[in-house]
Amino acid sequence: MAKKLSKVIIYVLLSVGAITMLVPFIWMVSTSLKTGPETIKVPPIWIPKVLQWGNYIKAWNAAPFAQYFINSVVVTVVTTVGQLFTSILAAFAFSRLQFYGKNLLFMIFLGTMMIPGEMLIIPNFVTLSKLGMIDHYAALIVPWLASFFTVFTLRQTFQATPDQIYYAAKIDGASDWKYLWTVLVPMSKSTITAVTVLAVIGSWNSFMWPLIATNSENMRTLPVGLQAFTTDSGTTYELLMAASTFVIIPMVILYMFLQKYIIAGISKAGLKG
Amino acid sequence: MRSNHITQYLVSRVRICYHDDGDFFDGNEGHQTILKERTGLKVTFKDVTLSYDGKIDTLKHLNFEIPDGSLVSLLGPSGGGKTTTLNLISGLLPATSGHIYFGDEDVTKKDALARKVGMVFQNYSLYPHLSVRDNIAFPLKMQHVSRKERYAKAEELAKLVHVDDQLDKKPGELSGGQQQRVAIARALAKSPSLLLLDEPLSNLDARLRIEMRQEIRRIQRETGVTTIFVTHDQDEALHISDNIMVLSFGKIQQFSAPDDLYERPSNLFVAKFIGEPVINTLPAETLKADLQGHVPDEIFAKAVTAGLRSEALVPFDNGQGILTTFHATLAYKQKYGREATAALNYNGQTLLSTEMAGLPADQKEGDFFITKAGFFLFDEAGALIFGGEAHDQ
Repeated sequence: MAKKLSKVIIYVLLSVGAITMLVPFIWMVSTSLKTGPETIKVPPIWIPKVLQWGNYIKAWNAAPFAQYFINSVVVTVVTTVGQLFTSILAAFAFSRLQFYGKNLLFMIFLGTMMIPGEMLIIPNFVTLSKLGMIDHYAALIVPWLASFFTVFTLRQTFQATPDQIYYAAKIDGASDWKYLWTVLVPMSKSTITAVTVLAVIGSWNSFMWPLIATNSENMRTLPVGLQAFTTDSGTTYELLMAASTFVIIPMVILYMFLQKYIIAGISKAGLKG
Repeated sequence: MRSNHITQYLVSRVRICYHDDGDFFDGNEGHQTILKERTGLKVTFKDVTLSYDGKIDTLKHLNFEIPDGSLVSLLGPSGGGKTTTLNLISGLLPATSGHIYFGDEDVTKKDALARKVGMVFQNYSLYPHLSVRDNIAFPLKMQHVSRKERYAKAEELAKLVHVDDQLDKKPGELSGGQQQRVAIARALAKSPSLLLLDEPLSNLDARLRIEMRQEIRRIQRETGVTTIFVTHDQDEALHISDNIMVLSFGKIQQFSAPDDLYERPSNLFVAKFIGEPVINTLPAETLKADLQGHVPDEIFAKAVTAGLRSEALVPFDNGQGILTTFHATLAYKQKYGREATAALNYNGQTLLSTEMAGLPADQKEGDFFITKAGFFLFDEAGALIFGGEAHDQ
């Protein structure tokens, strides 16, 4: 009986959590299918009388979203691949190699995680403008090619790999480089998938930095492009929401395919480290 | 059945090839191996010392030579330096000083990658993300052997160790014994001249352990690979080895054939370490009256400790070479299966004997015999000064 009751409570709590998470999405999709007047109606309408599918076409044509989309894909792919590559190498060094100042360096890097991202905007902008990178892909990519969060997460996983596997690989004729790519990385698949997804989402959704680091229309990314619907005369909510929907759809699909790895990866890195 | 299989393997393969430069197959038939017959490798340590922290020497001036094609066990208590010695041979640890030779080649400065030995670890250390086939083929992949050739080799080796029906499974799906076989196959994949085994049987249950040690012995005989086997289990070492090196306190206590280790321990440590039940030890002085005339006086004068194997204390003289007699009282008798042990009280010392099965149940005391075999005298430093075959007349 008590067991049943606790089960009921758990399900109620989980449902509340799930609904809280889902409502904004439902509201977004719902609004994207409304007419202008319907969007500001009180009490709110959940299901519009006539579904305005045309909003999506209008939104797509309101700004060069095709260009934004390409920009977002390029930036996200290059950033993620680059970040993974540098992080895997750094995590391997911190977990396996012996070098002078290793622990001190690690502590300093760990310390950088305490600095809020907003504080870095101005120094990064100054640096990149002096390098002449502002308003290029480089401005959107280079600052994010290293991530200590990713390094740290991978290092925890790498460190949890038994030493004997490393020795066995050495005996079997694998150099450090080969051990890393043919043994350690495949063995850490779930953590790598998790940090990949986090990097992709972070890059895809980033707004502040692309807004600051780009000026011209054809360098903008999708989240920045959403601004097109906010003008001095107000916001066209139905188009903004339609655009928001097609901006997040790739991420939703990605998450649905990889959620198993994401959860396993995060819990593995957390528990074993 | 099993031995048949291996014999077949050998007849069909004729030779497991030896490689110089990563070429395992002559290429024209894919499967056919020619090249040189595999040879074992002689391992020589010259004055090798190892210190982990630069202060305490874990291994002190080790000198030994392991003949090619032999199976040698490194035996000793935990922390005695067995695994450290093995890691020095494999190259996973660099020697602090001294020289290590494989054959005539000085490999002291070479790391594990360059030494090309095969090794089986205590926990097998298989790659969890690879199938059994890929695990066995991994060392060949590292040598850029083509996929077809390395899989062919992996399948052969899988047959040799009887895991050929498990090739597509992941290590996690195998039992401990199967994982161990896969680890041996992987170690043999690159046809090493030297196979190192670091307590490979300690994670197996008792019955499987006996089966696997015979298996290892057989594989070793049939491949001719010089094998070094680390164990803390003397029974294992005594059954499997051509020679046993007893290591303790970072030093070689004795390096000899298994029988010699038992019959002629070179010092008190080895005498106590080898043998079950543990050898009876007592101050030599206690035995003075009974040894008079049987042990030369000048030797007895130096003796500090006497060691008597439990089977050296016998109730009757059956012509097995008696050293002397002594009078003792019987403290108790016990029978376990076919073994009978008895405790004798002698001059305030308790001596354990395993040979008292034939005594009447109610006997309380009597004259007993000490055989020449199994009786030893050690000097103050613990070195053997009397006993063992060399002293027998």
